[in-house]
Amino acid sequence: MAWIKKRPYLWFILPGFALYSLFTVYPIFSAFQISLNRWDGIGPKTFVGLGNYAELFGNQELFSQLTGAFRHSGTLFLLNALAVLPAQLYMAYLLYSGIRGHRFFQAMIFAPQFIATPVIVFMGTLIFDGNIGVFNKLLEAVGLGEWTRPWLGLPELGIFIVWIMVAWSGIGVGMIFFLGAMKMIPTEMMEAALLEGASYWRRFFSIVLPQIKTTVLNMLILTYIFAMTMFDFSFILGGVSGGINRSVDVMALFFYRIAFGDNSAVGGSMNVNAMGMGTTIACVMFAVIFVVAVAQVVITYRRKEV
Amino acid sequence: MNVNLKARGNYVSSAILWTYSGFTLFVLAYMTYQAFRSKKELLSNTFGWPDVFNLDGYKKLFAEADFLRYLFNSVWILAATLLVVILLSSMVAYGIGRFRFRFRNGLLVYFLIGLMFPVQLGIVPIFLLIRDMGLMNSQWGVAVVLAAGLSMPVFLLTTFFEKLPADLYESAKIDGAGEWTTFLRVMFPLASPVVFSICIIMSVQIWNQFFVPLILLQSEAKKTVPLMIMKFTNNLMYNIDLAMVGSVMATVPILILFFLFSGRVLEGVASGGVKG
Repeated sequence: MAWIKKRPYLWFILPGFALYSLFTVYPIFSAFQISLNRWDGIGPKTFVGLGNYAELFGNQELFSQLTGAFRHSGTLFLLNALAVLPAQLYMAYLLYSGIRGHRFFQAMIFAPQFIATPVIVFMGTLIFDGNIGVFNKLLEAVGLGEWTRPWLGLPELGIFIVWIMVAWSGIGVGMIFFLGAMKMIPTEMMEAALLEGASYWRRFFSIVLPQIKTTVLNMLILTYIFAMTMFDFSFILGGVSGGINRSVDVMALFFYRIAFGDNSAVGGSMNVNAMGMGTTIACVMFAVIFVVAVAQVVITYRRKEV
Repeated sequence: MNVNLKARGNYVSSAILWTYSGFTLFVLAYMTYQAFRSKKELLSNTFGWPDVFNLDGYKKLFAEADFLRYLFNSVWILAATLLVVILLSSMVAYGIGRFRFRFRNGLLVYFLIGLMFPVQLGIVPIFLLIRDMGLMNSQWGVAVVLAAGLSMPVFLLTTFFEKLPADLYESAKIDGAGEWTTFLRVMFPLASPVVFSICIIMSVQIWNQFFVPLILLQSEAKKTVPLMIMKFTNNLMYNIDLAMVGSVMATVPILILFFLFSGRVLEGVASGGVKG
């Protein structure tokens, strides 16, 4: 007892430590352990070593689903990194420099964050649907009637429609983070640049951007993790199967389909291994995230030392 | 800030922001307007002038679709999760931030690695754990799983407690307060701005949480508002009126609250940004 009396912090840390370990850390290790078995979640487990991994990469149907889902997740990441992130920086800089109406703008741009994903997808339907969609109506109104399409039903556009919804709903968070980081830049630095006659955008590229570099890198990795684990938009829009020709399929949906889908598309053999193969996919997702996250930490760490 | 940081004649940027905000406003207003129309009109005369405005959709949502029950479930999960998160994370952060011991830094890193483990990756073992604990179809199951995402709150609060001057602890000690009294009466109240930020950020995540309730709540009686809306939008030919009013009820009240307090809310969000 004296040992514990001397360490009062243990009582503070222990409850949180237990909950966090049980539901956040342990599942990752447990998932890896399950992935080494053939298991449906109820019956007996059969140890198969790396057999599930061999099947995932060797079975043609599974592998094509994996690469398709990965390509879509990657597309989402690239679009977010190359289009949304610069837009967030641009908007944050405008707000930072106190553009007229900035309070209204920041609230408006952030607002979709408060809207649940099913509602966002429903709004997307109201706009892009072939029959009741506003977008087609608008095209007709401006004389571009021949361009009307059933936008939600075109497989080649699927992942871009998902991306539009993702971007609209999520753009505000990064913008607010960047704005917060910009406000931490010492005022003297901005004043000095102003006195030296640096132009508006010159100040952005020479002072603001280098000053908030770490935040940008952090945002980039969060964007990556998000793209690799995004589930709800694709699921609501395309269902368990991932839409027509799996056009909106993403990594997390592929994982869900195998682990929890009622009738996996691969056929009967998959259901008896739902948990085994499901966790295998989860572990692949984890590896894909882990490698990039570690690389990012190393890069950030290196830069700080220089 | 006294410096004039503005760009001169930034009309293009202004126009872009107005267009973008205008679009968001339009979508919200359009949905709210359509929610007053009947199912027949919505499907057959979407863009025409309405014959009648009525509240039938709302009546149906509350009477037949049992909206209040879904709302109650969502609120229940939100409240329970926030309570557990705030309680546990402030205790952990106080333990790590206030005391000096050997594995202190290692422990903080341990709590931070959770940022790399989104709940999706561990959901199979989580599902099995919850099932074995008999918490399937219980709001508690969802609440404990969501509350276990302690990384961000622990990080923010630890940074806060570390920065508090040591005299503060000492003087409380001299007054004869025990560790717990010091924590509850002195330290926790001091942290309330940070706790407020955490509440805001977590609330958004928990309220819109889709994945965990989808997997852990199978029974209709326990489902949350987002799951209810998906039920309606899955069959629009049949349920478009309910989808419309349901979406309005799930969106507009929260957004009004947000607009009223947007300044404070956004400050809270900004301070939650992971800083280097």
